[in-house]
Amino acid sequence: MPRPARIICVGNRHHPDDDLGPRVHALLAGSKLPDGVELVDGGLCGLDLLRVVEGAGRAVFVDAVEGFAPPGEVVMLGREDVAALAEGPWGHDAGLPYLFHLLPQVCDGEMPDLMLIGAGCPAGAAVVAGIAARALEEAVRP
Amino acid sequence: MTVRKILDIPVNRVEGDLELRLEVADGVVVDAWSAGTMFRGFERLLVGRGALDGLVVTPRICGICSTTHLMTAAKALDDVVGVTVPDNGVRLRNLALMVEHIQSDVRHGILMFLVDFANPAYRDHPLYEEAVRRYAPLAGEAIIEAVRETKRIIEIIAVIGGQWPHSSFMVPGGLSYAPQVTELLQCRHVLGAYRAWYERRVLGCSIERWQAVDSLAALDAWLDEKASHRDSDIGFLLRFGRAAGLDRLGGGHGTFLSYGSLDLPGETAAQGSGGQLIAAGFARGPTVEALDPAAISEHVAASWYTASDGGLHPSEGKTEPYASGKEGHRYSWVKAARYLGGPAETGPLAERVVAGDPLFTDLLKRQGANALARELARLTRPATLLPTMAVWLNEVIASGARDVYVNPGPITDGSGVGMIQAARGALGHWIAIKNGRIDRYQIITPTGWNGSPRDSGGVRGPWEEALIGTPVADADNPVEVGHIIRSFDPCLVCSVHTVRKGRTIGRVRLEA
Repeated sequence: MPRPARIICVGNRHHPDDDLGPRVHALLAGSKLPDGVELVDGGLCGLDLLRVVEGAGRAVFVDAVEGFAPPGEVVMLGREDVAALAEGPWGHDAGLPYLFHLLPQVCDGEMPDLMLIGAGCPAGAAVVAGIAARALEEAVRP
Repeated sequence: MTVRKILDIPVNRVEGDLELRLEVADGVVVDAWSAGTMFRGFERLLVGRGALDGLVVTPRICGICSTTHLMTAAKALDDVVGVTVPDNGVRLRNLALMVEHIQSDVRHGILMFLVDFANPAYRDHPLYEEAVRRYAPLAGEAIIEAVRETKRIIEIIAVIGGQWPHSSFMVPGGLSYAPQVTELLQCRHVLGAYRAWYERRVLGCSIERWQAVDSLAALDAWLDEKASHRDSDIGFLLRFGRAAGLDRLGGGHGTFLSYGSLDLPGETAAQGSGGQLIAAGFARGPTVEALDPAAISEHVAASWYTASDGGLHPSEGKTEPYASGKEGHRYSWVKAARYLGGPAETGPLAERVVAGDPLFTDLLKRQGANALARELARLTRPATLLPTMAVWLNEVIASGARDVYVNPGPITDGSGVGMIQAARGALGHWIAIKNGRIDRYQIITPTGWNGSPRDSGGVRGPWEEALIGTPVADADNPVEVGHIIRSFDPCLVCSVHTVRKGRTIGRVRLEA
């Protein structure tokens, strides 16, 4: 049985600066997903998403990003790009960079492909829809 | 001549939204101001929403303590309607909360506190190479092992709550979901494996052996007893921490607060105090008094909120931002939580002092509060929780995991409070409901106690006070300050985690 692709939406729906992931999740949760694609509300978690990532063939994270492009512009980052942002010790404000960095050393089973799709916030409805479509496209990519 | 200077330290690894201002004279801290730089505002967000909405909204306050806020919100609503949660509901709620504690304690101890021993400030220390091998950021063997082992334990919350993350399974009256016995049997394996790892790696001995350590002399004897003790994380914390003088840093006011936590079921083999596993109380030094919830207040004299004379009890408190006026006096978005009008520290050390734990009472008498004792209390707290977790899990399984909920009826009007011990200390939610909607919601977090600014009397908050007298050898790398602040495990910002670009990296630009 092939390993599923998981779209993992991360963020805080109560903070406009960080609500991209939950909005994409809400959009995708109301639609039929392709076979083999699973949707996860990752909420505020960082390292606690390790168990969600394990077992997936591909994990497509969706989260707000800062500093990569003007708000509203879609940004896609690979595992090493995000892992490189992990600097220094883990803290309460540690997020996906630590997970991306540590996963190869702590992953049970085969490593999934990892990527992050995001945009600066606040993001308009068109951006949210565009990221949702892009996440689906990446999830089913052979 | 005394050389005085002001240091502004963004303690960005502690929290991106915490800043410290220190006045240093001849290399020693003589005054300190701790500023929370982010307005949180969850209390205002809740007003006008449905009575149950705190169950969903408040877990988003913190990515680490989401179950803790869920528990506190549920207990506040229990209190509004006066419902008694059935025994299995109590056990399963407690188990979920304890999972969050034992994961947080180990992660903080190893990933946030011990990692400082690999700071280049200690490069000439005889234990530095060992510290780097164990705790180098993102690479030390203990760091990797701690992440690997602590990821599994949350499966217990997923089973109890039927979902992970952001399980919203606690509701007034108990749980909205009754896990299957077969799933709970699996939890027993997960819990057993975690305990075995914790004993081997963190303690270096069995929990029963650790529980026999009841004084400073017994602690010294334990350390000398076996190589496995010295090589454990606790052993290294003691060896390095003492050599670095952490048992002489970070004293504070010497007052301690615990709300009490983990209600005992009506019928259980577990034993506690005052109907709870974690005792409630207030202590001045080792002298413990009963907790009076009416003695809690919040001051805003130094906080950016509308003024009130003295302090207000949280059931009467407001969260009205007021960023103008008295410039220089107001310096934090954190209010000043006070007990009997004075500051009190909270957290694992406070829990142990209030409980009359013989080891920590002896440490307090002989050494006073200090950064090393705080972290020792945190990293050994799982030893106080794991045995009871097994008891409660077995009791739920033996009773078929039935009866986890009673219908509390409609929640239309009333007020209530949920008070528990979060991983970082005392957490309270005070709620008032009118016509089925939230009329008032006030939250005091552990950092509202430990990281509070000055109060109406100008008295420093606990970690502001704990910093006084701290030597700062290198203003560009104030590792001593970091030890003290992190011994309180501050939490201000973990509700927002965007991926920030820290330096130039490649990217792929796509069209939306």
